[in-house]
Amino acid sequence: MLSRLPLPPQLDRTITLGAVLAVGVALPYVGVVLVLAAMGTLSVAAVVFWMLAAIIVAGACGAVFSNHVVHAALSLVIAAMGIAGIFLLLASEFLALVQVLVYGGGVTILLLFGLMLTNATEDPLVTDGTQKPFAFGVGLAMGAVIVAAMVGSTWRAGEPMVVPFAELGVRLYRDFGLPFEIASLVLIVALVGAIAIGRRDQDGDVS
Amino acid sequence: MEHFLGLSGVLFALGFYGVLARRSAILILISVELMLAAVSINFITFATYLDPERFTGVIFAIFAITIAAAEVGLALGIVLRLFRDRGTSNVDAADELKW
Repeated sequence: MLSRLPLPPQLDRTITLGAVLAVGVALPYVGVVLVLAAMGTLSVAAVVFWMLAAIIVAGACGAVFSNHVVHAALSLVIAAMGIAGIFLLLASEFLALVQVLVYGGGVTILLLFGLMLTNATEDPLVTDGTQKPFAFGVGLAMGAVIVAAMVGSTWRAGEPMVVPFAELGVRLYRDFGLPFEIASLVLIVALVGAIAIGRRDQDGDVS
Repeated sequence: MEHFLGLSGVLFALGFYGVLARRSAILILISVELMLAAVSINFITFATYLDPERFTGVIFAIFAITIAAAEVGLALGIVLRLFRDRGTSNVDAADELKW
């Protein structure tokens, strides 16, 4: 039954690549993490962190390296969900909720709309420019420097503290009231501006 | 703690590579979102580990997400306009201001 479905060759290749990656990279990774956990080297939180980190990095790689624009946008959703999980690990439930709502919902829908309205007929091969090798080198160097600096530094040890909802609200409205109001102003100006810019012109006048 | 910071560094570098390598405006936008998410992770890590009494970083992350949402809406408006004028969303097509 499945073999009768006419798959386009590109999609076929994508599925094959996904299967190879899943078997070749994901399974050994999960195995190593679980074995380390069983040996008592990793705590439960550490296991969850490494799983989430793998999901996030995989999603980010998909968003950045994929030649198919819709795949890139959907990979961003995967990365955003993983980041929401990281926020939960960091004891910030409110941020996790906001992350899921804003990124998983709003931003992704907007991006998909944008892709639908612009890129529908574009050749996927023009998504990347000629400066790709240079960009790869710079990105790799920057990542190496940042990670080396952060992992190499000694931080004050401790456990993440829970930030209670109620205190967060009090602090947001009492101490950061003015920035909050300015943020709402920025939002409405940005959205009205987006409508004004993106509006289709009536009878050809320049808006 | 350094694990979270390292993850955010990797994420930021990936987004940076995307901004430099991508030529489609919407894909650049996706990469910018990755970089903003990395910064949010950093803010929250520092807030919950080093400053749990005042947690200013969490407030900053809330504002960062707000501004990111506004930025995506506005940028998509501009991209749609560009697409209607040029017939492409490739950023190399909009280089009149290049010196």
